[in-house]
Amino acid sequence: MSRRLIVLLLAMLVLVGAMSLKTVVVTHGDGSVIMANGSAPPPPVPWKNGGTPVQVLGNGSAPPPPVPWK
Amino acid sequence: MPGLTNSIIWLVGTLLEGSVLVCALKTKSLRRYLFLNVYMALSFLVSVARFEVLIRWGYTSLEYAYFYFYSDALLTLGLYFALLNLYSLVFDEMKVERYLRLGAVVLLGGTAWFSYAVINQSSHRILSHFAFELSQNLYFVGLVLTYVLWGAILKLRETRTRLIQLVLALGIYFSAFAADYALRNLYPNLQPVFQYLTPTLAWILPAAWAYAFLCVSEETRLAPSSLAAVSR
Repeated sequence: MSRRLIVLLLAMLVLVGAMSLKTVVVTHGDGSVIMANGSAPPPPVPWKNGGTPVQVLGNGSAPPPPVPWK
Repeated sequence: MPGLTNSIIWLVGTLLEGSVLVCALKTKSLRRYLFLNVYMALSFLVSVARFEVLIRWGYTSLEYAYFYFYSDALLTLGLYFALLNLYSLVFDEMKVERYLRLGAVVLLGGTAWFSYAVINQSSHRILSHFAFELSQNLYFVGLVLTYVLWGAILKLRETRTRLIQLVLALGIYFSAFAADYALRNLYPNLQPVFQYLTPTLAWILPAAWAYAFLCVSEETRLAPSSLAAVSR
């Protein structure tokens, strides 16, 4: 097997391992996020409606209500 | 708005990030560890910018939320390249730069594709959600890559103390956040403790890197702890 194929295989293995790890962590987590860049207070995630981000530019500037389905 | 204690923790973290650059400049290590220093410079600038946005728009504003997550994606990307910088330094004598570059591009492309595939399931494909997903996925890729690099350092019997210190600091940093995440889920009633503990963990990386640049010279080598016994 050529070196390039070995590199590709290793990269894929790392990707699969990382995504599996993430799936395990997120499945057993409370939905909060891991933020590891700086000491700034992380804001609440603005999208929680089944993976769909909230509209940033909606109609009017009224605060969006909590999502009725979870 | 964050309280006084959280603000002080944030301020100390930002100062530590700036101190890494100062220490690297002082010991003339800026170019050798270019991506590590670029990452720290980005962290410092982003921290200042986040403070500006927070003061202007408020903690619960969408502006702060989106700025936070966009800048976080940028920082995670920076951390990924810093990790690749460490990879190239560990493997520099093996002349495998082109394979490292290939692996890095494939891994980054694969992570971006996976992130897109995840958000593609939702009805609204918004760039900010992609940035958030990519940041989270790259965090886990970085975690795995750091452990692989730890293994490589052990296998290659690396003796460059500063390089080992930099990689170990990164591993401890990733592991600390993973442990913190697990403990937060195990003990949700300890939220008053974690609201101070989690941001304090962000001190680990800049503090360890600043120490490595300032107190460990490039020429320092670790003495082999044990010699292989040869059977006669």
